[in-house]
Amino acid sequence: MKTKSVKEPIRKKWIWILLFINVVLIVPWYFPKGAVEPFVLGFPLWAFISTFFTLIMGAYLSWLCISQWNIVEEEEENAKRKEDVKHG
Amino acid sequence: MDNLTFAGMDGIIILSVFAIIMLVIGYFSGKGDTNLHHSLSGYYLAGRNLGFIALFFTLYATQYSGNTIVGYAPTGYRTGFSWLQSISFMTIIIGIYLLFAPRLYVVSKRRNFVTPTDWLEFRFKSKAVTLLSIFLMLWGLGNYLLEQLVAIGQAVAGMTGGTIPYEIAVVVFVLVMLAYEWMGGMKAVAFTDVMQGIVLMVGIFVFLAGALYLVGGNFAEVTRFIADNEPAKLGVPEMEVSVNWFSMLVLVGLGASIYPHAVQRIYSAESERTLKKSFARMAWMPPITTGLVFVVGIVGIMLFPGLDTAGSEQLVGLMANKIAAINGFYYWMMIIFFGGIVAAIISTADSVLLSFSSMLSNDVYGKFVNPGATEHKKVMVGKIGGIIAIFFLLMIAWNPPGTLYQIFVLKFELLVQVFPAFVLGLYWKRLAAKPVFWGMLIGAIVAGLLTLTGHKTVFGIHGGVIGLTINFVVCTVGSMLVTVSAEKSLKKDEIAVLELEA
Repeated sequence: MKTKSVKEPIRKKWIWILLFINVVLIVPWYFPKGAVEPFVLGFPLWAFISTFFTLIMGAYLSWLCISQWNIVEEEEENAKRKEDVKHG
Repeated sequence: MDNLTFAGMDGIIILSVFAIIMLVIGYFSGKGDTNLHHSLSGYYLAGRNLGFIALFFTLYATQYSGNTIVGYAPTGYRTGFSWLQSISFMTIIIGIYLLFAPRLYVVSKRRNFVTPTDWLEFRFKSKAVTLLSIFLMLWGLGNYLLEQLVAIGQAVAGMTGGTIPYEIAVVVFVLVMLAYEWMGGMKAVAFTDVMQGIVLMVGIFVFLAGALYLVGGNFAEVTRFIADNEPAKLGVPEMEVSVNWFSMLVLVGLGASIYPHAVQRIYSAESERTLKKSFARMAWMPPITTGLVFVVGIVGIMLFPGLDTAGSEQLVGLMANKIAAINGFYYWMMIIFFGGIVAAIISTADSVLLSFSSMLSNDVYGKFVNPGATEHKKVMVGKIGGIIAIFFLLMIAWNPPGTLYQIFVLKFELLVQVFPAFVLGLYWKRLAAKPVFWGMLIGAIVAGLLTLTGHKTVFGIHGGVIGLTINFVVCTVGSMLVTVSAEKSLKKDEIAVLELEA
């Protein structure tokens, strides 16, 4: 229950490499200056792509929180269950 | 927003209802909890027992203030599509939390931290580091609080069409806030945040709906209009804007995540599960908060073309006026929305004030003035100190500075200098007190000087980020050179606290 189940984001390099790439794709430095056309859903293309990657970042971070972070959860939840049994 | 005459008496009624709800919530959250006023963690951290709903909403309502609407929509109006950065810099905050919150949560529970300073004191055992970080954090919090006080007055005066003058509005709402905070501490702050957060969320949606209705429900038409009239607001931004965007991601990401009140929400979580669930939801909030406000700002370009900087600051009020004129439903929704803006400002201000008080209680009084005092006495000192601070800031608030966004960047510049000590200290045992102190000090001086001399950004990079880079270099290189490593200043059992598989 101890070492194996501990998941801490800081220890996983891939998390931060992917986040960095994501950020680099959000900022529109790689588009030719001043370009507007074509429009996608009322957004200029660069803004559409930037927004798309921003949403990806939100989804990615949300997923990381749930699935890559687990340090004391089991201990805490077990302790809580015991408390409940005692008082219940 | 003095031309906002759609509300008047109706606005006063809604504001009064909101104020009463807040007071009732505050009363009930403090009632029956005898421990609350006799324990630092009871009063300032809600007994470290915030559940998912309260924790999520207190994170949300604290992070997104009324300024997010009143200040960001005009910025979107002036800068155009490159203001999409507001979605990304609010999102990245969660990424930065993932760097340190998981371990800090565990360590804070093991050592019963109350303030961020408790962590720095435990880690570095240096009076110099502790004092300097207290100063930087109180400075940042004070400035932030000041900004909220200025905003409350503007929003209320706007909403009531000047029926309630600026000064009276601020004083009344500050008294309401002080009253419920006095009664219930963090519990009251978090529970009122649930109400304030919901009103804000609903308000933004209705506001956007009204704005889109005014332009015929067709966003593509808005961009077509901008392309014809102000193409610069639509095109790919200049390289300097992109650099500035990167810089904002660093400054806001690192700064907002280590705000003392943000850190104290990590301490207050009932469990790791609640904390990570709350953060997971928070990652979705920027698109439906700053994202929608961005759209509002863009729609404003078509509705009110050609406003200058001062004129554009009134954008939300101007739009609310037009939306309220659509029909009775929108009229009342706009009044509730403006009430929501006031509520959202209060919900940020109360958290900042509580954090400010906790640092007076626990750090200034508890560590330096009278360490032997009872917790009850420390809590009292914080409460009263907070009230004195508020009235001091109010005197400054009577002369509000120019645009809201300007002050927003200013507060981060200094506060963010605590970041290296705070986060590197969690993982790198060599990080030593002396280099940390000098890094923080030099970083703060550089950032402050650059800002004061009018160089808020250099080639698009914020002074705060430049200071922070120097800060990082000083504390890492210094720690590698210094002979007395921090490993020696921490006892064995203290190092064990930092380890997860002990």
